[in-house]
Amino acid sequence: MDAILLASQMVFQPQVLLTIVMAALFGLFVGAVPGLTATMATALLVPITFFMEPVPAIGAIVTCSAMAIFAGDIPGTLLRIPGTPASAAYTDEAYAMTRKGQGELALGANLLFSALGGLFGTAILIVAAPSLAEVALRFSSFEYFWLACLGLTCATVVGTGSTVKGLVSLLIGLFVATVGLNNPAGVPRFTFGNVDLLGGIDFIPAMIGLFAVSEIFRYVLGMSPDLKGAQTRVGNLFTGWGRLMKQYWRQSIRGNLIGISIGALPGAGADIASWVSYAVSKRFSRTPEKFGTGHVEGIIESTSSNNAALGGAWVPALVFGIPGDSITAIVIGVLYLKGMNPGPTIFINNPQDIYAVFLIFILANIFMVPAGWAAIKSARVMMRVPRNVLMPSILMFCVVGSFAINNSVFGITVMLVFGLLGFVMEENGFPIAPTILGIVLGPMLEENFVTSMIKSGGSFAGFFERPISGTLGVITLAIWVVPVALFVWRKTRA
Amino acid sequence: MRINDAILGAVLLAFALAIGLYARTLPAIPGQEYGAAVFPTWIAFAIGACSLVLIAGGLRHWAETGAVTLASWARSGHHLRALAITVALVVFYILVSTPLGFIPTAFITLTALFAVLGVRLALAPVLAAVLTMVVHYGFYSLLRVPLPWGVLTPWAW
Repeated sequence: MDAILLASQMVFQPQVLLTIVMAALFGLFVGAVPGLTATMATALLVPITFFMEPVPAIGAIVTCSAMAIFAGDIPGTLLRIPGTPASAAYTDEAYAMTRKGQGELALGANLLFSALGGLFGTAILIVAAPSLAEVALRFSSFEYFWLACLGLTCATVVGTGSTVKGLVSLLIGLFVATVGLNNPAGVPRFTFGNVDLLGGIDFIPAMIGLFAVSEIFRYVLGMSPDLKGAQTRVGNLFTGWGRLMKQYWRQSIRGNLIGISIGALPGAGADIASWVSYAVSKRFSRTPEKFGTGHVEGIIESTSSNNAALGGAWVPALVFGIPGDSITAIVIGVLYLKGMNPGPTIFINNPQDIYAVFLIFILANIFMVPAGWAAIKSARVMMRVPRNVLMPSILMFCVVGSFAINNSVFGITVMLVFGLLGFVMEENGFPIAPTILGIVLGPMLEENFVTSMIKSGGSFAGFFERPISGTLGVITLAIWVVPVALFVWRKTRA
Repeated sequence: MRINDAILGAVLLAFALAIGLYARTLPAIPGQEYGAAVFPTWIAFAIGACSLVLIAGGLRHWAETGAVTLASWARSGHHLRALAITVALVVFYILVSTPLGFIPTAFITLTALFAVLGVRLALAPVLAAVLTMVVHYGFYSLLRVPLPWGVLTPWAW
């Protein structure tokens, strides 16, 4: 109880609340501008959080990501251009509603069910994380090794597009993580005598490059969406909320549950949750023929799901230090930096920090309703910001942000290299999120592997001797082996 | 611009070979089997395996896609020039910001970038000046990031 009181004192301070409000506005803006993603919003925010106390820093990131995921629905509904990839699943549906003159209903449903989904995700996070942490306390390097493997496996298998390309992206991330002195042997690797590389490649400039700079390159090359001929005026958003709640509560709950489950899988975040929920909604709908014609049912399930996924993604991040998606991959970096090392012991040593994070989650989702309403009302202004002014400004923020990590221009070099890499990768169908997960999880994977091998005297059997470790190992291997075995079996039968 | 998977696979195969060969030069930990070379070697093997799958897939579709499928921007000199200038401006910032200082470097970089992206020539320097000072105030004065002063050191505040 003391911890909750302490957490409330940490959160309910004018400067923390002000930070949350500012982060919310920033998240809404970035989310509502087509082409800029929730991950990009978070990436741009990180250099600023360096200079904050831990609680406002985490609060800013939580609020910003939740708002950006919701705000992505606004241009999706009004312009048929999803603001963030998490809104892409139901963009056509929402735009069809706008064309039928039901834009208010679509945006109102997005706002209401995003906030509810976020709150539901938070509730599960509050209930599940501490009990999981108790289990996690019994984990050794063997279990952590398999968990990291499972996270990387999910990132590759669950992601969209080709599995081989997802795997290559992941391996690039793992390779980047090997650069520098930070390895069990303490030997400089891939540094080629460069002093800057001795410290390794910092994942924050890498991430700013992959997610933000590559997007700027796409804009420069004229690949950004055209915004002409858009309807950007909306009426009363609150009409029909009661009816929607009564009629679609099942869809909302199912979306929440799917969102949390997918969010909690390491490597699979709000984007995938949204697509799966839309498909499930159509599959179990009594009126599947209405899908695609401007029907609110799928939107409700999907939008609930993508916001619930955010809470879900924090479960493995806080309990095991394993990111649920690219946003929590960033968050883990910030948590370490702020001395709030993620892992089960944080629930014992610093419960007030965890309760403060939970409180911020609740606040952010409640604040989403008035802030979201204001964002939708000012959609015309937000979406019409001249792109040729916005993009150079973002580039300058990226440059200074990358510099601020170590106060060195090397950070900017890393940013530029990864910006070009990210651009080439995306152009050729390689997803970029697994690269970031690889960079974050690589050191953990290597350290736990080497520690385990020393403990077991060089025997691989050690990885399967403990019950939880063995189970995790079998699950991880099965994810790889079963699809291949099924493929071979089908081929031989055919 | 979509490059055929076979070409990308070949590049990745060369990369994997380079990582693998470099990993062999890493010293072993005395008395221990698993040292600094283990992970890079595994990564090299895994990238090598993936590259072979990509090469096989790419060769299967070579007839349909050819070596490179050019996107519309790749045929547009204007867009390619804009990209080259953007990259060059970041390189310019990296090389020059410490001796010249943040304020002049950011101003030049932004003015050029605004001009390239079609902001009116009269407006570009004004916008660049305002943005430079906003970024400088935010990061230098509020967040205490030591942005370099360079030639403006005598007038630093």
